[in-house]
Amino acid sequence: MKRVTKVVSSDSRVGVYICHCGGNISDHVDVNAVCEKISNLDGVRTAKTNSFMCSDPGQEMIIEDLRSGEIDRVVVASCAPSLHEATFRNALSRAGVNPYLYEHANIREQVSWVHHGEAATLKAERLIAAAVAKARLLKPLDPIRIEAKRHATIIGGGIAGLKAAKDLSSRGIEVVLIEKSPFLGGWTAMLDTLAPTGEKAADLVSSLAREVLEHPLVTIHSCSQVTGFEGSVGSFRLEVQKGPSDSGVPPVKDRGIFIPFRGYLPEEDEQPCKAFVVETGVIVIATGFKPYHPKNGEYGFAEFEEVVTLPRFIRMLAERDAGEGPLSIGGKEIKNIAMIHCVGSRHIPGIHEEDESGKLNEHCSRNCCSATLHAARLVRDRFPGTHVFEFYRDIRTYGRFQEDLYSKASESNVIFLRFEPESPPVVSRNPRADGSSLKVAVNDTLTFGERVEVPADLVVLSVGMQPSDVSDLIEMMKLPVGADGFLQEIHPKLRPVELSVAGIVLAGTCQAPMDTGEASAAGSAAAVKASAILAKGYVELDPFIAEVDLEKCRGNGECVKACLRQGALYLKDFDLHGEKVRKAQVDPVLCTGCGACVAVCPENAVDIRGWTISQYEAMVEAIARES
Amino acid sequence: MLATQKAGKILILATESCAYPGANAVGQAHSSYPENVFILRTRAPVLFPERFYIECFEKGISGIIIMSCGVECPYHGAYEVLARRIDRVFEMMRKRGLDPTRLRLTAICTVCTRAFLKEVQQMNEIVTKLGPPAAERTDTPPAEAS
Ligand SMILES: Cc1cc2nc3c(=O)[nH]c(=O)nc-3n(C[C@H](O)[C@H](O)[C@H](O)COP(=O)(O)OP(=O)(O)OC[C@H]3O[C@@H](n4cnc5c(N)ncnc54)[C@H](O)[C@@H]3O)c2cc1C
Repeated sequence: MKRVTKVVSSDSRVGVYICHCGGNISDHVDVNAVCEKISNLDGVRTAKTNSFMCSDPGQEMIIEDLRSGEIDRVVVASCAPSLHEATFRNALSRAGVNPYLYEHANIREQVSWVHHGEAATLKAERLIAAAVAKARLLKPLDPIRIEAKRHATIIGGGIAGLKAAKDLSSRGIEVVLIEKSPFLGGWTAMLDTLAPTGEKAADLVSSLAREVLEHPLVTIHSCSQVTGFEGSVGSFRLEVQKGPSDSGVPPVKDRGIFIPFRGYLPEEDEQPCKAFVVETGVIVIATGFKPYHPKNGEYGFAEFEEVVTLPRFIRMLAERDAGEGPLSIGGKEIKNIAMIHCVGSRHIPGIHEEDESGKLNEHCSRNCCSATLHAARLVRDRFPGTHVFEFYRDIRTYGRFQEDLYSKASESNVIFLRFEPESPPVVSRNPRADGSSLKVAVNDTLTFGERVEVPADLVVLSVGMQPSDVSDLIEMMKLPVGADGFLQEIHPKLRPVELSVAGIVLAGTCQAPMDTGEASAAGSAAAVKASAILAKGYVELDPFIAEVDLEKCRGNGECVKACLRQGALYLKDFDLHGEKVRKAQVDPVLCTGCGACVAVCPENAVDIRGWTISQYEAMVEAIARES
Repeated sequence: MLATQKAGKILILATESCAYPGANAVGQAHSSYPENVFILRTRAPVLFPERFYIECFEKGISGIIIMSCGVECPYHGAYEVLARRIDRVFEMMRKRGLDPTRLRLTAICTVCTRAFLKEVQQMNEIVTKLGPPAAERTDTPPAEAS
């Protein structure tokens, strides 16, 4: 372990700690040489190295130096900040020092793993010098603390919303569930048996809905929609409008009932139409998806009545003509079924036609392969006289037990034909008198592009999943949306259910295509995140928000105009030495810290705490300086 | 300009929710790129005023790549504001005789490792060809001179 300590006279006393990371860093970066050089920088009081800075001895070294008063701020040069920035901030707190007097230099992912030899050493040195330059300008910051109401509101009563309601209420949190339709269960209730397990969707929805309905802490408002939104994490205020029930089913009493292919109908509310307000601490968005609606003429859709979507086919199969014998629908025997995959999914620019709004669904909908294979197998098992032909681009039966669906479909003699996206199957009337009214032609790449024609009594389009239209919520709550139109989490892996709007979390297929198992898991994850937010009775937010220097501010309002979060910045009149002055003010709860205001202030009077322009300027100078 | 000349420094302003983890993913894959690239983490690059970019070039930075989240920016509307600002920076660069290709606005996701490497390589070619910004800058911006 190398230590270089020197006596300097400087306002800030930086301690720099350089990690070997086993050999991950030190095999490529000469950490001792870097330590020596860095110790000579202005403001640096001590520079040390350690095999693993994140280990207990590594952290203790920092804590000791802080406690002794030798240093008052810290730079650790190690792996990516996502891994250990929080670890080292905690070490500062344990030493009784403000955790924001900390800066991280990433010399593993961005140095030793990508550069070698002297160049790696020089770059590590520059990055640490930049971190020191910033550290010298850091100021102590306090997290923003907000009281949190122990109450959660869930928008959407599909499987994800119901699961979130169940988990939140079982943790003792009061829940309001707002569902726009008269039914609970979402699209799961429109299915029969579920891939890959074969469970009855009705049983799943009914048991979950009953548990939720019976829980004393849950209030369900069906036929309701959020029409107004204000406030922030811990204390949101939602305006809700409950409309008339258009279930088409007589009102039910007691615990409600499950109506096949509609959903679970809860007990009717005494006061059907009303507007009301919900005050809540966190919001779970569980608004789900909508199946792709094929364009007129797409694979013969709306042109031939024998062309149907997969959800429709699932229902047809479940409600098929009663009795034993061959598969017949509406009195017509179905001998051949053609199922076409990837309808409305995996669109390729230049090949597929955009919708009216110029959008393509470039994503894979993830459920359709399994659901199609599952339906195909059901047909083959129950009606061996019916042939099934699957036209696919790729079979994507990802996930546990899903690949079995493919092998079992093959075993039960489902016939597979593969096509390239630029040469999709063509559905047309069958001129031959072989009994099937349609035919599907394709260049089958499994037989080296041979043109194959298949007779079909029914063509099933495996439609993909699209985000349901929640543009009103997106606009109201400023929810981030990905390029695919689904709501977008902060980070797909590290913060998968959180949104950049604090206090609003995501559950289920409003975020991405998922199957019911995944949507249910997402509902649970959202519930855990939501209850963690509410657990302490208050919430602490990162202090990285805008700050106005009242000395410099002239109140010209440019920052207020540039602010991307309505209400986060506003102008306020102050009495300054008997004179009335107007200055910008930040609402710490609403400000997201994006910095849009910083760039436009002619007086440079606004900055983001912990990420100031002068800190960046100091870092750039340190980087630009010759080594 | 000789191709072997040491390329000037490239600054990357990388968003903490997309491009910065994207750059880390390049590291995790152990894919090398030139060491004249320095990455600074930002919450949202919409923070930086026009002058910040010009001053970086004045300090000797040869090229800047803003690696944003693009339209997937978690701060609603920030990308659009940023894109408009960068257009103004291009204008300022032209007036000062700075080649606008030294600055690039792009979107890099958390797993866009290939796109990251391509951007870095392209900017490296540009700064190698152009040399340091000081050589290029006219002392007085033409607009102010007239
Ligand atoms: C054809 C097909 C077959 C499938 N087969 C299977 C299968 O075999 N196995 C399997 O595991 N999965 C299957 N799935 C996937 C399954 O349907 C989904 O995983 C599940 O429905 C997702 O649940 P969710 O709660 O996320 O969304 P949804 O089911 O879409 O529920 C969302 C709910 O939110 C409500 N809502 C929407 N907007 C608002 C608003 N603004 N305000 C209030 N409420 C709102 C909706 O009315 C709905 O009740 C299939 C999907 C399709 C399309």
